[in-house]
Order: sequence, then C-alpha cells, then structure tokens
Amino acid sequence: MKQQLETLSPETATVATSNDVMVEVRDLKKSYHHKTAVNNVSFAIRQGEIFGVLGPNGAGKTTTLEMIEGIRTPDTGTAILAGLDIRRQKSAVQRIIGVQLQATTLFSELTVLETLLFFRSIYPKGLNPWQLLRDVALEEKAKAHPQDLSGGQRQRLALALALVNDPKVIFLDEPTAGLDPQSRHMLWNIVLKLREQGKTILITTHYMDEAQILCDRIAIMDGGQIIALDTSTGLINRLGAQAMLNCRLNGQATIGEIRELPGVTGVREANKRFFIYTSEMQPTLEALLAYAAQRGIPMTDLQVRTPTLEDVFLDLTGRELRPE
Amino acid sequence: MMTKIVTLLRTNFIMLIRNRALIISSLGLAIISMLVFGFLFGGSGSAKTALGVVDQDHSSISAQLVSQLQKSNSLQVYTGTYSEEQQALANGQRAAIIVVPSGFGDKLVQGGAHLQVFYDQSNPVTAASTQLTVKAIVDGINSAATHQPGPLTLDQQAVAAKDLREIDFITPGMLGILLMWANFAVGIQLVSWRELGITRRLAATPLKPISMISSQVVARLALSIVQTIILLALATWIFNVHIYGNLALLALVVVLGALTMLAIGFAVASFVKKTEAANSVILLVSFPMMFLGGSYFSTSGAPSFLQPVIHTLPLYYLNDALRQVIYSGASWGAIQTSMLVMMAWIVASMLLVWRAFKWL
Repeated sequence: MKQQLETLSPETATVATSNDVMVEVRDLKKSYHHKTAVNNVSFAIRQGEIFGVLGPNGAGKTTTLEMIEGIRTPDTGTAILAGLDIRRQKSAVQRIIGVQLQATTLFSELTVLETLLFFRSIYPKGLNPWQLLRDVALEEKAKAHPQDLSGGQRQRLALALALVNDPKVIFLDEPTAGLDPQSRHMLWNIVLKLREQGKTILITTHYMDEAQILCDRIAIMDGGQIIALDTSTGLINRLGAQAMLNCRLNGQATIGEIRELPGVTGVREANKRFFIYTSEMQPTLEALLAYAAQRGIPMTDLQVRTPTLEDVFLDLTGRELRPE
Repeated sequence: MMTKIVTLLRTNFIMLIRNRALIISSLGLAIISMLVFGFLFGGSGSAKTALGVVDQDHSSISAQLVSQLQKSNSLQVYTGTYSEEQQALANGQRAAIIVVPSGFGDKLVQGGAHLQVFYDQSNPVTAASTQLTVKAIVDGINSAATHQPGPLTLDQQAVAAKDLREIDFITPGMLGILLMWANFAVGIQLVSWRELGITRRLAATPLKPISMISSQVVARLALSIVQTIILLALATWIFNVHIYGNLALLALVVVLGALTMLAIGFAVASFVKKTEAANSVILLVSFPMMFLGGSYFSTSGAPSFLQPVIHTLPLYYLNDALRQVIYSGASWGAIQTSMLVMMAWIVASMLLVWRAFKWL
C-alpha cells in the first residue's frame, strides 16, 4: 500500500488547467426545506484523474453527485462534462457517464446477466456484458439474482452497470461502504485499472484510507461546502505537522503547558486524552515524557503516527471525520 | 433503436411473468372462484322469466311493445293493473314487472320516454338474469326507437332469456376481478421501484421515465389479454360458458378495463411513498370493490345508501360491460355508458398523475 502512495500522480498542481478539464462543476446550489444541502460548490476534474470528495455523512456529497449526474436539478449552477452542459444536454451527458449509487438495489426478477443486458440496451454504444462480468469477477453469478449476491458482489455488479456504456466519466458514491476488507481491496484494484484505461473518476467517500490510496486530488466537503482541495500530501502538509502524538495523561496536565513544549504546532484534548501535533517529533516526544515524569502524571496509551486526512478534517472543522 | 424498444418491452414482460405473487393473486383468484362457483353451485335458472307488464299508456306503441314481448319464447308475459302486478311481484309470482307510464308512446318518438321496472330480489341468480333480460329489452327498445320510426319491433335475440347459471353470471365478474388485481398492481410496482432507488438509478441513464412506464403498460396489457384468454378458455371448455357477443368488442372492453385499472394504479402511486402503504391502499380499494362492483353477486339488492357508491365504481361498469357482451351479446349501444364511465375514470386518474406523480 505504501508503494501505491508513492506512485500516485506526483504533480503538485492543484488546479486543473483548462485544456484537460473533463468535468467542471460551477457554483452548484441545492436547498431543501429551507436547509442548504449544497452551497456554492465548484471544482474541476482533469481527464484521467481520480478525484475524491471526502466528508462525513450529511456533508452534501451525494446531493452534489446527483446534480452532476443529472438525477437532481440544481437550484443554481451547473456542471460541464466533456464540454456538455448537464442542464441543457442531459441525454448527451448521460450517454458518456456511468454511475454507481450508494446501496444500489436492482430488479429482483432479473438475473445478473439480464440486468446487464437491460442496461446495455439503453445506450447506443457500449461493452460486451460477458466481458464486463469477467472484469468484475462475477462470471459465475451470471444466472443469479441480485438478492442472492453478497454485499461485495452486489457492489461489483453495480460497478459493472456503471461501465456498461464504456463511459468517459465514472461516478462512485461510497463504493466500499459496509464491505469487508477483501472486497474493498478488490474494488480499489478495479478502480485503479479503470484509471489506467484513461477514464476520469469521481469518488465520494468517508474513508480516509480509500481517499489516500485512490485519489489524485481530494476535495474535503463539510456542511454543503468544499473547505479544502488539494492532493492528499498537500492537505496533510498544510497541517505543518510531521507527526501526531496521542496519549492519556491521568493527572493535572493542561493544554497550555503542552502547547509550550518544543515543536508542538497544535494540541487538542478530550477526556484526558491529548492529541499533540508536532513538526519535530523527537524533541516533542522527549519533552513530553520529561514533563509527565516531572509532574508525576501517569501516561498511558502513547501512540505516534503520521498525520492523516482525518487529522486534516479535524483541524479544519473541529469534528471527527467518522464519529466512533 | 429497435433493439432498445424490444429489449425494454421484453424485460418488462419477463419481470411481470416472474412475479408469481401477481399471477397467483389475479389469475389464480379468478380461476379458483370460478371453479368453486362452477362446481359447487352449478345449476341453471328457469327457462322462462315471468314478466308482468302494466300498460298505463294504452297507445298503439305500448300495445306493440306488449305484443313483441309476448312473442319471445323465453318470457312468460302477464298483463294487469299496477296493484295487481305489484301484488304478484310481492308474492313471488313475477321475476320483474315493467310499468309503461301514460304518454310513453308520444315521448318515445320525441325522446325522453321512461319505463319503470320492479325486480324480485329474493333469488340473486334469477334476479341477475332478469335484470339482464330486461336491460336487453330496454336497450332493444332504444335501438328500435332510434332506427325505425314505424312499428316497434324488438331485437328478438336481445329479448331471449338464455339459460343463466351461476357460472355464467360469475365468469364476467371474475374477468373483471382479474383485470383489476393484475393492473392495479402497477401502482405498487412503481412505488416499489421508487422506494428501492431503482428509478433513481435509471434517472442517471438516457432512458426516459415515460419509456419505462409505457413499456410497463404495454407489458401489463399483454399479460391481461393472455390471462383473459386463459380464463375464458377454461370457462368455455370446462363449464360450457358461451360468449354470445362479438369477440372484437369483448377485446375492446378488456383493453379499456385494463387501461382503467392501470390509470388508477398510477394515481395511487402518485400519492403513496412506501411500498407497504401502496399495498394497503390497493387492498383497501380492491376488496370492497370486488364485492360492491358486482363480481360475485348482483348489487341491485344492496341497501339504497350504498347504491350511489356502487354506481361510481369502475369495476361495476367493467363487470356490466363484460356481462353485456359475454352473456347478452350486446353491441356498443348497450355498453356505451359503461365504456364512457371507464374512460372518465382514466381521464380523472391521469389528471392526478400529471399533477402529482414523481419518478424519483
């Protein structure tokens, strides 16, 4: 997995230049019952990029996606895909996109193959359904019905349906939610293969590992807005932290004093558990241990790790990406 | 393009056929009812219907009417005064009496003539048979009046009371139920697709909702016709039920009936969000209508406060049109009202659908 991280696109450009933009989202807005679900969302995706939208449940990710896919009409704003406007040329756009929705339910009366054939018939051009079944490793289940498939198999079928028209742009909404680790890895490999074929992919997720492994660039979304957009590395670097120390201090430790320790860039405390961000791991660690020893404060559960996107989210919003 | 339409239709039809619950509830119910009534209650009504005629008009036209009725060899016609005939009816000596009011002859030529009819309700089967006969008589009078300004002759076929058995009465009723159950279900299907997110998935494709919906309609119409053929085949082969009417007209009634039930199903789908609720609403509407609509027994004996309700029910008119064509061999004139009421139900339902239906 570490190797995957290193071979991700090394470009540091965080803005797509106009000549290779595949998807341009402009000022999308959607409100329900006086509540704004999506509030002026804009971004651009390059051709051949895997673009992630990371955020907690309720951030507006699905609604945003639905507006770009043409399922929902925005209040204002639009999306341009391969030069086509979703609001004015919906059919043309939908012919070149494939979507995998969250928790796709399918016609229970049809077999896997029949479902693929049905969806295939909607488009003028596309791929051979049998080949698709092979690509997603569902050949054996061709005659099965959707309800006889496992969660992972159902998601792979949904993915096959998203690919049936050989789309230029693929939308995946929480593609591995609720799946076991093996299914998750299987799906990630399929997605990476799709990028190799030159497809542009937009994926929403609330899993930090998924975002880091798959995505070239990530937009962090919260409360209907994009609060940060960069590569995974770029976002983490913004924290200015090299490491995060995490421990329990069962005594009279205060945030103020911890913040004064050498190298510390930020501190958070919850129920005697301290999250300490530092740009100089070793000095901070040594000072922390000395501090605890000096004050006679018992320290337990010390963890040291590199910052992750969850830390970025926490830093930006003060909330956990995935509340336990 | 052709492949797309063919695949769309074929897929919708396959999904219908595989939905065993639907087939069982619609065709199964109809067939079982028929078998139960056909074998358990088999028997025939009397060959001649005792009909009393009270002539208060004493015109040449009313005299012609009476003599025409007397010519029929399936009617036993008695003439008498109003009180005499009412007494006979009350004593069970008449199946029905027709009162020809004074001024009938004049009004018949000008338009606006009325006949009063009183039925004996004690035996539902005979009552139903009598009603059909008298209705045919009245319709016969209407067509005679509009076509011939001269002597009044009645279409003898319409007047001949055929041997009406329970099974003859039930079969059109079962066909009505079949068409209702099989086609109301489209409402449940749409709500289910919407609730499960299937329509949402389709909304991301170039497939337009109207295409999917129309192929559902066509598939259900095809299924309705197949089920109709099966039901009528069973009725004619096993129980010797005769279809006296024009098969093309019967097909028209079946198609219109199916479309009416489909339209109502759509209307229900426009208002209900959950599949379970759709199921409940459809059941709540279907069950009373099955009985009040006259599928199992004649409703003319029902209490008068229910009659206005009965006369709004689409199934009532569908059953009526089916009985007229299958049993009375009626032509368009006799079923026109019923067909128009069904069309009105379609229009009203589609208006609702147009205003309220959401694909997502």
